[in-house]
Amino acid sequence: MSYLDKNIVELHNLLVEKKVTPLMLATEAIEKAKKDSNNAFETILEKEALEFAKTLVEPEKDNLFWGIPYVAKDNFSTKDILTTASSNILKDYVPVFDATVIKKLKEAKAVLIGKTTLDELAMGGTGTTGHLGMTYNPYDPEHKYMVGGSSCGSAAAVAGGIVPFALGSDTGDSIRKPASYAGLVGYKPTWGKISRYGLFPFAPSLDHVGFFTRSVLDAAYSLNLLQGKDYNDSTSSFLPNEDNTENINQGIEGMKIAVLKPIINSVHEEVILKAFDKTVEGLRKGGATVDYIDFDDDLLNAIYPTYMVISCAEATSNNANLDGIKFGPRIGGENTYQEVMMKARTTGFSELIKRRFVIGSYSLFKDNQKYLFLRAQKARHMIVRKINEVFDTYDAIYLPCVAKVRNPFDGGYSDKLSSTYLVAENHLAIGNFGGLPSISLPIGLDNKFPFDGNLTAKAHEDKKLLRIAYALEKITSLKDLSVEKVVK
Amino acid sequence: MNFEAVIGIEIHVEMKTKSKMFSASPNRFGALPNTLVTPLDMAFPGTMPRLNKQAVINALRVVNALHMEIDHDLYFDRKNYFYADLPKGYQITQDKRPIGKNGYVEIETSHGVKRISIERLHMEEDTCKQLHLASYSLLDYNRAGTPLVEIVSRPEIRNGEEAMKYVGKIREIVIYSLVSDGKMEEGSLRCDVNISLRPAGSDVFGTKVEIKNLNSLSNVQKAIDFEMHRQEKLLLSGQKVEQETRRFDETKKETVLMRKKTDAVDYKYFTEPNLVPVHLSDEFINDAIASCPELADEKLVRYTKMGLGKDEALQILDSYDMAMYFDKTLDKGASIKGLWNFLTGDVASYLKKNNLTIKEFNVSPDHLVSLMKIIEKGDVSYPQGRKIFEEMVKNDEDPLMLQEKLGLKQNSNQDEILTLCQTAMKNNPQSIIDYKNGKDRALGFLVGQVMKASKGKANPQMVSKTIKELLDKE
Repeated sequence: MSYLDKNIVELHNLLVEKKVTPLMLATEAIEKAKKDSNNAFETILEKEALEFAKTLVEPEKDNLFWGIPYVAKDNFSTKDILTTASSNILKDYVPVFDATVIKKLKEAKAVLIGKTTLDELAMGGTGTTGHLGMTYNPYDPEHKYMVGGSSCGSAAAVAGGIVPFALGSDTGDSIRKPASYAGLVGYKPTWGKISRYGLFPFAPSLDHVGFFTRSVLDAAYSLNLLQGKDYNDSTSSFLPNEDNTENINQGIEGMKIAVLKPIINSVHEEVILKAFDKTVEGLRKGGATVDYIDFDDDLLNAIYPTYMVISCAEATSNNANLDGIKFGPRIGGENTYQEVMMKARTTGFSELIKRRFVIGSYSLFKDNQKYLFLRAQKARHMIVRKINEVFDTYDAIYLPCVAKVRNPFDGGYSDKLSSTYLVAENHLAIGNFGGLPSISLPIGLDNKFPFDGNLTAKAHEDKKLLRIAYALEKITSLKDLSVEKVVK
Repeated sequence: MNFEAVIGIEIHVEMKTKSKMFSASPNRFGALPNTLVTPLDMAFPGTMPRLNKQAVINALRVVNALHMEIDHDLYFDRKNYFYADLPKGYQITQDKRPIGKNGYVEIETSHGVKRISIERLHMEEDTCKQLHLASYSLLDYNRAGTPLVEIVSRPEIRNGEEAMKYVGKIREIVIYSLVSDGKMEEGSLRCDVNISLRPAGSDVFGTKVEIKNLNSLSNVQKAIDFEMHRQEKLLLSGQKVEQETRRFDETKKETVLMRKKTDAVDYKYFTEPNLVPVHLSDEFINDAIASCPELADEKLVRYTKMGLGKDEALQILDSYDMAMYFDKTLDKGASIKGLWNFLTGDVASYLKKNNLTIKEFNVSPDHLVSLMKIIEKGDVSYPQGRKIFEEMVKNDEDPLMLQEKLGLKQNSNQDEILTLCQTAMKNNPQSIIDYKNGKDRALGFLVGQVMKASKGKANPQMVSKTIKELLDKE
C-alpha cells in the first residue's frame, strides 16, 4: 500500500487513527527515494530518518506535521548533515547549526528524509547546473523536459510521490516555476514572513523560503507552522501571526482579480490559454470580478535585466565567504592566502556561477553602479510601485506561470528577447522584487504534463491569497497530483 | 621655502560591549584564541547579522560628545574585498549614511585652543586577528565582529602636537563615556594618519602618505614630526613624495615604508540587505545621550565650580581611574581641596613609590574620608595621620580602629595643653628671655618641648597658639 502520494492533512488523519505509523511512512519514503531516477537527492538520510521515526509512537492530534516525511532543498543548513548547495565548493560542508525552518519542522516532529538537488547555489532556473548533474522531470520518463529550478530536487520528490512536503527557496521563481512543471502547489510568502536564517543566501533582498505541497490547504497549514518573527533574522516580520486556514473555504464573492494584458498576450500555447480562460470563467462564477488591465510594457521588459543585475550583484558578495579558508575543500595554495582563495574558487564554482559573479561585480564597480546596479534598483522600485497600484483596486493578480507547458533541455528559446521569453517566462520575479505573497497551483494538463497558474497579492495579504487559491483549486479540481495518479 | 602640513586622522575604536556588533558571541580581549566565536563570526552560510543595540547607544554617545549631526535612520553597507582576515568577504559598515557627521572637538595646544572639524563617525565590525609565523599564519576569530566606531577628522591638523592632542581628546571621550577602554597598546584604539606637505599659503594638496601602527600618543607626535621632516627634505631637494603607506619604527624613531599605494581597491559598496533600516526615535537618542556617564569636560566644569583650579582639576582628569576614585571619595563627603591635596600628595607618592596604579590602591573611599576627617578635626596630628595611612594601605582597615590600635590620639584638651605649656615655660626660663629679645626660634623650641613631653600627642597648632599667648602675656 502506498501512502505518500496523499497530502499532509490526509496523512495526518491516518496517523492519528493509527492506520499508519511514522516509521511506515519514513520507510516508504526512503525506499522511494532510493529508487528515484530523477536525480532529486543530494543525500538520503536513511539511518537518521528511520531512527527518528521509531521514536514517534503516540500521535499528536493537534500537530499536523507529526510524523510527516519531508525533504529540504540542499541549501538549508542542517546540523551535522552534509549541505552542499549542489556546488563543489561545498561538497564536504557539514553545518554546525540548523536553519530556523529545519528547527521548526524538527520541533513539530516532521521526519527529514533527504536533502534535494538544486541549481548550483540556487542560481539558475533549469535544474541542470548542480554538481551532480541534471535533475529530471518525473512526468517525463524519457528525460527530455526540465522540472525547472532552482528547487528541482524538491519539486521532483513531491511530484514523484516520495514526500508530501518539500522546503524550497525562491529568488526569482525558483519554487513557483518548478511547481508548474511538476504540477504542484508552490508557495512563497511575503518577504520576512518566514525566517531566512540558515538558508544559504543567493540574493537576500529577493530570497524567500517557501515550499511545495499537493494542496492549497496544506500550504496554508505549512505557512502556519513556519511563519513568525525570528530573533536570528532581523528582516523577519514583527507582525502578529495569523491562522492562514481560517475562512479559507469562504469563497471569493466580491473579490477583484486582475490579469495583466501584456503578459497574457505573450503566452501563445493554446492549451495554457484555454485552461486559463476556463479558470477565469470559474472565478467569475464564484463571484469574483476578473479584469484584464493594461500594464507598462517597458517595465515588464525590464524585469529580467533588473533581476540579473540585482541578483548577481548580491550573489557575488554573499558567496565571497566561500574562499577555502574556513570550510569547504582546500584545493591547494602553499604560499599565499590569495592562492588558497583562487584555487578554491576556480575549481569550486562552475563556469555559469563565475559568469554571474563577473556580471555582479561589474555592475557594482564604483564607476558602473550608476548605470547598472543603481539603475536596476530604480527599475525594481518602479515596477513594485506600479504593481502596488494594481493592488489599490484588486485583491490579486492572476496569470499563467509559464509560456510553455514543457521546457526541453535542448534549448527551448532561441530568441531570449522575445516577449514570450522576456515577459511570459520571467514575470514571477515581480513577486520577489516586491516581497509579495505568490502561489502557483495546477490549472491544466497537457497530455499528462501538468502546468500551473499563479496568484500574487499585496505584501502581508498571504491569508487572503490562500483563500483565493483555495477557491481556484476547487474550480480546477487539480488537487493532490502526483505522477502515479496523473499517469493512471 | 616654508611648508605647511595637512594632516587628517582616522581613528578606529573598539567598543566595550557584552557581545559583538552583529553576533551574540561575547566580546572581550585576551581570551584563548577562537573561543569567542559563533557561526556568524566565521561566516558559515546562512548566518545573518543582528544589530547590537548597546553599540548603537555607544556610538550615539560619542557622536554627541563630538557635536555631530545624528542620522535618525541607521543604514548599513557592505564593503567587499577578499582578505584572509575578513571572514565574510565583506565588512558590514556605514558608507553612505554614517550615524554622525559634521562635528568637532576643541584641543588645547601650546598655541592656544584649536577646533578640529570631524567629517564623520560610523559603526562597523572588526576583522579577525592574524598571526604571521615563519611558514604559516594563524587566524583568531575572537576579534572578528568586534564593534567599532571609526572617526574621520577633516585635514585640519597641522603638526605632531595637534595630532597627539586630537587623538588624546578622542581617547578621553571614548574612555569617559565607557564606550571603549581606549588602550592604544592593545589596539582597542588605532589611528591611521594621512599627511602631506604643501607650500605655506597654498590651497593645493601635496602627495599623501599614510602612517599606520601608532600605538601610543607620543608615537603619534613623534611619527608626524619625523614624517614632516622627511617630506620637507625630499621636497627641498627637488624629489617627489611617493604615495605610500609607512609605519612607525619605535626603535629607530622613524617612519619606514610598508607598501607603495597602487590603484585604490574598488570596494563595490552596496546596502546590506540582511539588515532593514532602523529608525532611531528621539526618545532612544535622548536616552542614550542622557545616560552617558559624565565626560571629562563636564567634570572639569564641576570641579572648578567646587573650588579647584583648572590645572588642579586637569591633573585629576588625566587619569580616568583617578577621576573615578576622586568622585567616589567626594561623594563620601570629602572636601574637594583636602581630597585633592591628599590624592596628589600622599596617595600619589605612595603609588609612585610602590609602582602601583590608583586601581590597585587598597584604601576604600570611605576610609580615606574618615582619615581626612580625623586629621581635619584635630583628633590626630598630620604625622599621626600618615602613620595611620601607612597601615591602611595594607588591608584597608578602618582608620578609627587603627588610631586606637596604634594608640594615636592627638590631645586637643585645652586645659591639659595649657598645663603642659606652663610646665615647659617654667622649665625653660631662658627661652622666655630669648623670645622677648626677638628670637622667634625660642617659640619653636618651646613647642618642641611640649610635643616631646606629650609624646607627640598634643595638638601642635593648639600648642603653638597657647605658647604664643602665654609668651605675649609675660
